[in-house]
Amino acid sequence: MENEIIVKLENLVKRFPVGKSHFTALRNISLEFKKGEFAGLVGPSGSGKTTLLNIIGSLDTPSEGIATVIGKRINDLSHKAAAHLRNYNIGFIFQTYNLLPVYNVFDNVEFALLLQKMTATERKKAVMEALEWVGLTDKAKSKPALLSGGECQRVAIARAMVKRPALVLADEPSANLDSVNSNHIVQTMKQLNRELNTTFIFSTHDEKVMRYLDRVIQLVDGEVASDELIKHED
Amino acid sequence: MLEIKLAFKNLLGAGLRTWLNVIVLSIAFVIILFYNGMLDGWNEQARRDTCEWEIGSGEIRHPLFDPYDPYCYQDAHKAIDADLQKLINAGEITPILVTQASIYPQGRMQNIVLKGISPDQKLLKLPSDKLNGGDGDIKAIIGHRMANASNLKIGDRLMVRWRDVQGAFDAKEIVIADIFRSNVPAIDAAQIWVSIDVLQEICVMPNEATYFVVNDEYLKTHREALAPNGWKFASKELLLKDLNDVIKSKKASSGIMYGLLLAIALLAIFDTQVLSIFRRQKEIGTYIALGMTRFKVVRIFTFEGTAHSILAILLGSIYGTPVLSYFVRAGIPMPSSVDQTGLAISASIYPVFSLGLIVSSILLVVISAMIVSYIPTRKITKLNPTDAIKGKIL
Repeated sequence: MENEIIVKLENLVKRFPVGKSHFTALRNISLEFKKGEFAGLVGPSGSGKTTLLNIIGSLDTPSEGIATVIGKRINDLSHKAAAHLRNYNIGFIFQTYNLLPVYNVFDNVEFALLLQKMTATERKKAVMEALEWVGLTDKAKSKPALLSGGECQRVAIARAMVKRPALVLADEPSANLDSVNSNHIVQTMKQLNRELNTTFIFSTHDEKVMRYLDRVIQLVDGEVASDELIKHED
Repeated sequence: MLEIKLAFKNLLGAGLRTWLNVIVLSIAFVIILFYNGMLDGWNEQARRDTCEWEIGSGEIRHPLFDPYDPYCYQDAHKAIDADLQKLINAGEITPILVTQASIYPQGRMQNIVLKGISPDQKLLKLPSDKLNGGDGDIKAIIGHRMANASNLKIGDRLMVRWRDVQGAFDAKEIVIADIFRSNVPAIDAAQIWVSIDVLQEICVMPNEATYFVVNDEYLKTHREALAPNGWKFASKELLLKDLNDVIKSKKASSGIMYGLLLAIALLAIFDTQVLSIFRRQKEIGTYIALGMTRFKVVRIFTFEGTAHSILAILLGSIYGTPVLSYFVRAGIPMPSSVDQTGLAISASIYPVFSLGLIVSSILLVVISAMIVSYIPTRKITKLNPTDAIKGKIL
């Protein structure tokens, strides 16, 4: 099962219309991600990292090529099927946390489970476990406005992980954080990756995050410039 | 269920903006109830008074009789046959004879309608028993409007001139035996009631009537043939048609007033919805990323807008119940000038808030709020989630 491929991208092309012409954001991307990988898409702004994450996350579709995520062809998914895939199999972590401001920490984390028809008791257990992973059980009743940036991102990690997804997509998760918090949240994600065997795919150009990655895929102008596995000494 | 729960949570989380919308909408809701309750109360009172004082459960009329055409009175009368007499004796109908006449209060001539009614009748609320006796005087009863207009009081004597069946003028003094108060101007303004026996005698119309007022018993026993031979039947609904039309037109005109108020409240909700969708794109994108379909998000926002109306109804019930209950008990005083309108209006109208009125008002507010909430949310279906997550403007 370790070698199970959960994301397979074949000759992926993504174009965006710009006036009467179009802009090509991704060119012939062919990649595979295995279960349990801790991989990162790195590159400068405009290199296509977020676009690629959006396609993997079924929030967008490729213009050409085939994207298969957890056995589903993204190209052919209906809105409903894509929503189902995201709800059960994919967790998202955003640069700006995207927490729902009127909900408290518990409600924010619980939100992902509300769509899964779990009982209240099951949800409470899962939420408290997820908050324990990120060390925020004491902040369960706090509103996001009262949390620091690092705490908000930890809530976002708990929200992404609470449903035990096969895949977590993190778009520049440390961009709004200081170095201490950046290290903390990446360490948290690394630990979850090891303990739960969840696949993490990052988009980042943060050196602090890159240090933890097992695989670094360099994107330049929408193309894969390099794809290397990193051997960590520990 | 999830959408409703989320909608209420979001709505209450929005704070002051929500409550401003809710307050305006609740005022519109209470005013809709107040106006409709007042009109329903008036309708109920006017129908009841008109039946009790004027029309009973319907009228059997001479075919030529038209109450709005005084020229027809001369010919619109005929003899009461044996069958009708039986019904009179049984108390199922009461005869009324109508003729034109003139009076001369303070030396000025005033045209009136002279009506004859049995002093013993129990079918109408008119105090006709006051017409009994008289020691040779013709006793008459009039309504307070007639008394005010002609400056008459109990015990006053006045000259009445009429034409008999041959068209010959005759005149005699009558004495005012009673002045009654009724909310029904149709039996009061410019009318003098005397005993039907007296009127038949002075007009030389022995045992004749212009029309009969019938009771419910008559309707039950004559369901198959309501109009006796040579007479026509006017149903209660037909006789109340004018009143119904007036109430309908009043409802329409008051509808414009509360419609405007409702429109202002709905506009505020619409505006809030547009602003919400504009400001909360990141949230919409997050909902989609977390696994909601666009239609589910549309439902959340639509429920959110609609929830304004639920909160407005709850709030309106809190302050509206004591206020409207007070009016139900104390009534809504009408200005004295309404007496001159010719409509059956009492000094105070007691509003009636039926279950149907409350349910229809709730539905009106909820459905209209739902429609104005849904319209702006359709934009969400065209939203690109990747742009929404970043909070890019639609």
